Amino acid sequence: MAGDPNILKELQGIVGEEQATSDKHIMYAYSYDMSFVKNKLPAYVVLPENAEEVQQIVKLANKTKTPLIPYVAGTNIGGLCIPEKDNSIVMDLKRMNRIIRIDEDSRYAIIEPGVSHAQLAEELYKRGLRFGWPVGPPSASVLACAICHGIGGITGRYGLNSEQITSMEVVRPTGEVARVGSCAIQEDSWHSLLPLPLLNGLFTGWLGTTGVVTKIGIFTPAIPPEVEIVTTATDTLQDMYKYMLQMGRYEIADDLTAVSWWLSQVPIPYPYKEKPKDAPEWNSYAVLYAYTPKELEAKLEMFEQTVKDQQKAGSSLQVTQYPEEARRARTELPSQIVGSTKNYSKEAGGGISWPGTFTPANRWVDVWEKWRDIYTKRNLSPSVRVTMYRGTHYGMLRAMTPLNKQYPDQVENARMAIVEALQVLLDNGGIPYKPPVDFWKEIFDRADPGFVQLIQDVKDFIDPNNIMNPGKLLYR
Amino acid sequence: MEWNFRNIDKEAELNLKHFFWKCTACGTCRSGYTFGPPPTFRKICPQGQKFGFEGFFASKGKAALARWMTSDPILKNEFEWTPEYLKTLYTCTGCAGCQNQCQIDFKPHIIDTIEAMRAKAVQDGVGPLKDHNVLVQSMRNNDNPYTGPRGMRAKWMKGLDVKDINKEDSSVLYFAGCTPAYNAPIRQLAVKTVSVFNKIGVDFGTLGKKEVCCGSTVLRLGAREEFKRVAEKNLEIFKNLHDERGVDTIVTSCAGCYRCILEDYEIADDFKDYMDGITIKHTADFIYDLYKEGKFEPKNEIDMKVTYHDPCHLGRHVKDWKVDWDGSQQWKGSYLDVEDKGTFEQPRELIKAIPGIKYEEMRRNRNNSYCCGSGGGVKTAFPDWAAENAALRVEEAEQTGAEKIITCCPFCHANLNDGAKVRNSQLRTIDLVELLDEAL
Repeated sequence: MAGDPNILKELQGIVGEEQATSDKHIMYAYSYDMSFVKNKLPAYVVLPENAEEVQQIVKLANKTKTPLIPYVAGTNIGGLCIPEKDNSIVMDLKRMNRIIRIDEDSRYAIIEPGVSHAQLAEELYKRGLRFGWPVGPPSASVLACAICHGIGGITGRYGLNSEQITSMEVVRPTGEVARVGSCAIQEDSWHSLLPLPLLNGLFTGWLGTTGVVTKIGIFTPAIPPEVEIVTTATDTLQDMYKYMLQMGRYEIADDLTAVSWWLSQVPIPYPYKEKPKDAPEWNSYAVLYAYTPKELEAKLEMFEQTVKDQQKAGSSLQVTQYPEEARRARTELPSQIVGSTKNYSKEAGGGISWPGTFTPANRWVDVWEKWRDIYTKRNLSPSVRVTMYRGTHYGMLRAMTPLNKQYPDQVENARMAIVEALQVLLDNGGIPYKPPVDFWKEIFDRADPGFVQLIQDVKDFIDPNNIMNPGKLLYR
Repeated sequence: MEWNFRNIDKEAELNLKHFFWKCTACGTCRSGYTFGPPPTFRKICPQGQKFGFEGFFASKGKAALARWMTSDPILKNEFEWTPEYLKTLYTCTGCAGCQNQCQIDFKPHIIDTIEAMRAKAVQDGVGPLKDHNVLVQSMRNNDNPYTGPRGMRAKWMKGLDVKDINKEDSSVLYFAGCTPAYNAPIRQLAVKTVSVFNKIGVDFGTLGKKEVCCGSTVLRLGAREEFKRVAEKNLEIFKNLHDERGVDTIVTSCAGCYRCILEDYEIADDFKDYMDGITIKHTADFIYDLYKEGKFEPKNEIDMKVTYHDPCHLGRHVKDWKVDWDGSQQWKGSYLDVEDKGTFEQPRELIKAIPGIKYEEMRRNRNNSYCCGSGGGVKTAFPDWAAENAALRVEEAEQTGAEKIITCCPFCHANLNDGAKVRNSQLRTIDLVELLDEAL
């Protein structure tokens, strides 16, 4: 048994004897995820069922100055739910799994943290609605994805999943419940954060260090009846970038993404494998949804014009035929098949991590060339993805990095590649998302001191005892 | 006879350790999900639903247990058996619901990993659990897990016209199994099987008192020595019956016997020598084949709405895994594909062939069926929880409007009826043969 028996007893007093434990083998199950982040055992795991129980646990953590880590599925690949400090409580929120309401007219859903992509997908589909399903496992938490700036299959049209948040209920680190957005004014109205001050910013992107989000409203757009996936290939990222720049300008794709040859393999080759000489280095897909055949026709016409323009300018761009499974993987989300397990890490086994970043598109090529060197020198596949975000020419730039967790030296090799890649990225103006602690050091080394101080001041203000996921922001 | 069991800590290439370290902890195993369209989401892990913590949940949890048991290479922990660890290990029903979801190289090896950990517990003298030991001791003393005397095994046949295959020739051995023999509420399963066989005109015989447990129950607990003893006895009996009585088909009533003889006996070095010329079938398959050959037609109308519960050992447990052991196709140990050999459609077709029957599927079915909660020794050591879990399945069946649940496994049969009592439901479970007997 780990931990202080008195704290365990108090936790059991809040949630019931069977819903809190200090058994070491259970602590072990919470000590790792699929990332390179080093294991650390918590001392307690507790399974609250509602916000009231969350409040009591938070108050207990304050009273005993015990670190508290919110957890749902543990599927992030930044080690965000692995404790940094000794004697931590992991608060597993998976029992809070209610879809409270789906407002079909206003197109939003109110959900608890334990609602998985699979669970919500079933209910939304019945109503002709969708969400930005990521390529993660169907078991992953919708709420956790949204508040950690996750992305999904509709990022080109609607933006990040955090941008789909319409309201929020939070248990603050000091135990008070707060609502932000329209639900703060009218209990049953979860449609919008605006025009109120964007207080959701205190809890979004903070990696569980500023409170426990117990409910969110999320925008759930309609599923358009028409869809076509257009695919292209180029010899260089430079050519692919120019194509994506033009396509991105039209804002016609729900998802506009390109992947390096290594990422287009199923799974990612591990260790590094040479690309066949005749294979294009980059492949792209653009998912074009439309409400009428005419709308789709117009979008396809714009795509064809883009291809013509690029080819006329001397690009190596070619229109390609995607394998059927790959085409389906673009729209049939959430999916067990395209999740990080099968496509990405199956050959390596046991783990995957990334330098996952938001980066201006005009820096992609410079970063890619350096990343390719870093990865190949470490005998790892440079399996890189770039995605345009809504209405802009910046987007995701990330290298999916499989690793074999059975062998610590291989994990360390992957970690080194990722950190080196991040250094290059930061120097080129990119920003990592869902950053593990190793990343924060690199960020803060480069960041404006005023920004670093503000982060710490906000954290100190909102969490005076520094109990929420302490250490995840490096200095707090 | 040599048995090629897989061990949790064997240091060989492509051992179980290689595979449970392939788990990415992604949690895909935790719920039954298909994109569709429409997408379907189903809770699939009884143990995880009940106990909640990671570690209890699905194959992700079992990989964690195995890593902890064999020492994590970073933490370098020294493993110690604790009552809590044993509880986590033995509250898994081994239903393979998680296995059906997993997409990585661990997939084909999930059940083997669970059973190898239990075998290690037995080897170290800490397993199985106290209540299980009664079962294992009974196997040792009586060749059955129910503490019933050997002499009582054939009691269910009293008054029935059944050929004694020890004395008379027949091509079909009806292997009734221990549950109908020793569990009175399930006795009708064997009685009605005989009745159906007689109505159809099957020439068959039974071993009577000489029948020996297949060994499934003790194998699931990790008691491999006891399993080997009864399995070797059975293989010798089967071979003798083939050579001396002309037996070429063994028909089992029990999904557990079926899976055990079909899949577990196969790891014996001499399996092929002993079973050459013998086919193992479950009654559902056997009767279905006769139906498709036009040997009978259900005639009697039954005005009833029913649903069907897939037993794990008859359905998703019966698979032919394709693994690239030598790395010639992908990489060493990679999971390539799976061929479903489970019995899913046969019982459904037989049910629907009965005039007047109305059939409604439960939300969770076939490979994504929900375990009744009886398997893996759970019913023996945690009977209240097993029944509580069965009550969830009965509730799901109630939602179909069915008047009866049909199944093909005596364990599911008994446990689902216990589950009905837990929720004061009038919905009862019967075996497929009981329904067919009424229709013939």
